[in-house]
Amino acid sequence: MTRFHRPALACASVLAMAMLAAPSMAAPNDPPGVADAEVALPPPPTAWYADKPVGTAAGPVSAAQLAKGTDGTSWLTYGGDYRNFRHSPLTSITPATVKNLHVAWSAPTGTVGQFEASPVVYGGVMYVTTSYNRLLALDAKTGVILWRYDVQLPSDLRLCCGPANRGVAIGGDLVFMATLDGHLIAFDRTTGRVAWNEVVADYKQGYSITAAPLIVGDHVYTGVAGGEFGARGFIDAYDMKTGKRVWRTNTVPSAGEPGVETWAGDSWKSGGSPSWTTGAYDAETNTLFWTVGNPSPDWNGDTRAGDNLYSNSLLALDPATGKLKWHFQFTPHDVWDYDGNTHIFLVDTVFNGKPVKAIAQPNRNGYFYLIDRTSGKFLRASQYVEQLTWAKGVDAKGRPIVNPAAMPQENPTTRVCPSNLGGINGAWTAAFDPGTSLAFVPSIESCQQFAKGVAVHVPGIPFMGGFPNTTDANEGKSYGLLSAVDVKTGKIAWRYRDARPMMAGVATTAGGVLFTSNQQGEALAFNQATGDKLWSFRMGGVGRGQPIVYQLDGTTYVAIPSGGFTGIDSFAGAASNIPEGGQLFVFKLD
Amino acid sequence: MAAVRFTLAVCAGTLAIAAAPAPPAPASPLSSYQSAADIARGKSLFAGTCGAYCHRPGTTAGPATDAPNLFDCDWRHGGSDVDIFHTITTGVAGTRMVAFGGALPDAEIWRIIAYLRSASQCPKPTTGNTP
Repeated sequence: MTRFHRPALACASVLAMAMLAAPSMAAPNDPPGVADAEVALPPPPTAWYADKPVGTAAGPVSAAQLAKGTDGTSWLTYGGDYRNFRHSPLTSITPATVKNLHVAWSAPTGTVGQFEASPVVYGGVMYVTTSYNRLLALDAKTGVILWRYDVQLPSDLRLCCGPANRGVAIGGDLVFMATLDGHLIAFDRTTGRVAWNEVVADYKQGYSITAAPLIVGDHVYTGVAGGEFGARGFIDAYDMKTGKRVWRTNTVPSAGEPGVETWAGDSWKSGGSPSWTTGAYDAETNTLFWTVGNPSPDWNGDTRAGDNLYSNSLLALDPATGKLKWHFQFTPHDVWDYDGNTHIFLVDTVFNGKPVKAIAQPNRNGYFYLIDRTSGKFLRASQYVEQLTWAKGVDAKGRPIVNPAAMPQENPTTRVCPSNLGGINGAWTAAFDPGTSLAFVPSIESCQQFAKGVAVHVPGIPFMGGFPNTTDANEGKSYGLLSAVDVKTGKIAWRYRDARPMMAGVATTAGGVLFTSNQQGEALAFNQATGDKLWSFRMGGVGRGQPIVYQLDGTTYVAIPSGGFTGIDSFAGAASNIPEGGQLFVFKLD
Repeated sequence: MAAVRFTLAVCAGTLAIAAAPAPPAPASPLSSYQSAADIARGKSLFAGTCGAYCHRPGTTAGPATDAPNLFDCDWRHGGSDVDIFHTITTGVAGTRMVAFGGALPDAEIWRIIAYLRSASQCPKPTTGNTP
């Protein structure tokens, strides 16, 4: 990496070079460029383009392909398809055959920090991002690097929670990555060359982007992070071919707009409410769905009395204009950092005996929600975590009944669950098997005491207003769950308990086997029907990434990232002695 | 070439400074921020601005993080009052530590330092051979 400067070393080197070059530098009649050539050092390489275009046989990715989602051979979007099921139709991996998975190839990221990406596979090429915004195009069969681009990031990024990136979007012959310094970049997917590079937000104001973009039609959609800096959230749409911004919808209303009355005084101006995860799209109602995170400051709501719309909400938007159709707020006036930005599924299911087009969401606040996706009407909330104390339930309209004892205090003594990280968190995915109607949810069980402090809002510096005392983590009491939730009923079908919080994503298959990873460094496979652990492989690094499944020339592959980030991993659980450093493992079914 | 010449000038300046007598260390105003109210304000500011995802609160052993413990008297970037003030105001490039200079008033930064000093528990010096 070239993010660190060593001025003393630079001075010594330049002085040495200058002494060698001094005579020619002093000569007035030097040919132009000669002296420069003697002292100039080439910049470090930051991109390795493909000599010949790669992956061309498959042709451009069409809107119809994106609408269909994964067909088994490919994995086209972060969520697997527009419904975010992260489900492969492949039937080759079964409880009987999963033992035949073996390592096909592996690839290093060369970076520290959490390796949270979901790879995308198309035309035999895998596009995967690493922490600190490296983008690799790899031969999906062999792992050979076809092209690579390392974004040169500034050294003063505003990151609350590590240098993560969760992947790309692909459309036409372009692949898109958003960056920690607030850019959205389009690359020629066949060569790696930059097609356009637009600034979405000024990172010095507290913004960053960690999520994979989403493509619908000719638009690329992205949100922003920045809720720990009071940076006002928004969702943007860009023209896929030109990079020109088409619309921006703020997640916090301005003065005079509906909803601003839910913020005391001018608190809306520093209200945060970031849109830091990837959305979903419903073609039937032509609706873009996006979720919104915590109001700022996180743990002190004194200056922002009110419900603080649209923090911690689900938004239904017109994809052409960004106009808000409806919203549903999960945690009004949040003071625990219970972001609404966790995985949403667009499911056609049954509620009270009647078919319903719904959105199902395991929320960071510990409840599993079912919302009518045509109207935003609340249908049901059920507890999916084992420990939930911040609320005493959810009323008939979906509003939580807050436990007053759980409010942050200057010197807190009350143990509050779930942790500020969840439950599940937007940094990793869940998955849904439409065959059994089971959703699979990895989560944290780690209660905390929430302390209240003072925050002063200045753009670009932290604006959090308190902190969680990591009570259970300090005492070694944290653990993790993988829960199978029946979307028809909200009931738990089975649970797997891990010794450490489960903080990696999931992919399911039509063969009845799901994949995930844990913080102990294992890739894991489970029987979707029973929860039996069927297979494991010691990857070594902490599991924080999103697995995918694909098939090439009749062979089935499973890709699982490995590599954690101590700062956040330890926040949820006991300190880990596993070093950071990303490594992608790809297994094939023999 | 312009860039090289500029760098040479900077380096020459650095050498000249190195050869000159060391200037007196700037005085610490920390003694002016020792009231109970100052320390309480520093504690609240620390809780609301520096804790959470970054520095662990207090001296109790919490989970390891990339942000250092600020209560164990082990300072990575200099442990004098002025060193700590400098680190807070200029940040640490390449880490999550942003520059607070110009954002928080100097007086508020000194109150945070006063709180850190008041709540720190420095380990006793060890004797004999240690690894």
